[in-house]
Amino acid sequence: MNEPLIWTSKGNLPEKDLEYSKNWEFKDDSIKFSETYKLNGEIVKQSAHVFVLRGHEIGALQGEF
Amino acid sequence: MANTTAICTSAKVKALNAIALNADTLKAALYLASASVGAATTAYSATGEVTGTNYTAGGITVTHATAATSTGTTAFWTPTASYAWTTVTLSTSFDAVLTYNSTDTNSAICVNNFGATTVTAANFTLTMPTNDATTGLLRLA
Repeated sequence: MNEPLIWTSKGNLPEKDLEYSKNWEFKDDSIKFSETYKLNGEIVKQSAHVFVLRGHEIGALQGEF
Repeated sequence: MANTTAICTSAKVKALNAIALNADTLKAALYLASASVGAATTAYSATGEVTGTNYTAGGITVTHATAATSTGTTAFWTPTASYAWTTVTLSTSFDAVLTYNSTDTNSAICVNNFGATTVTAANFTLTMPTNDATTGLLRLA
């Protein structure tokens, strides 16, 4: 099976040769997940995915007689 | 039965559909953390928009196959697919997305802030909430 490769300043390198980290951020209305691959401290690949949990609510106000 | 004072739910649905008409083209653009889009934004502007590899100014087209509807007295509407930018490099911190109606003079619809983010040679996605009266992207209660 082919190893996943990531393009770096030193050419295509296997993912396993890179420093990997992931991060979750939790907010009231969203969750963000990001993955980072680094080579010698330099970010070579970083993705981010935001899951919106809740949108905008507009309160409709009505005048009364 | 008794008569009650209310804004009719059918009018709320019409109001949401007026904002995001199904036949219209909606778009989503990303903004730098240093920009100032928000409630006062009236229309899409390139000022403060992100730039980077594989990012097109003006953003992506929003898929919205379902018109606004209602449950109880709350009308709601949500795009029917995630917002996705593929293999982009956005090196300057960005934290907001503006959804706007490009058919209707680029008029602004809503802004969502998701916290400071950078992307390098990878994907950025925004997965939409469940389309219901509690979590839908736009809700008129």
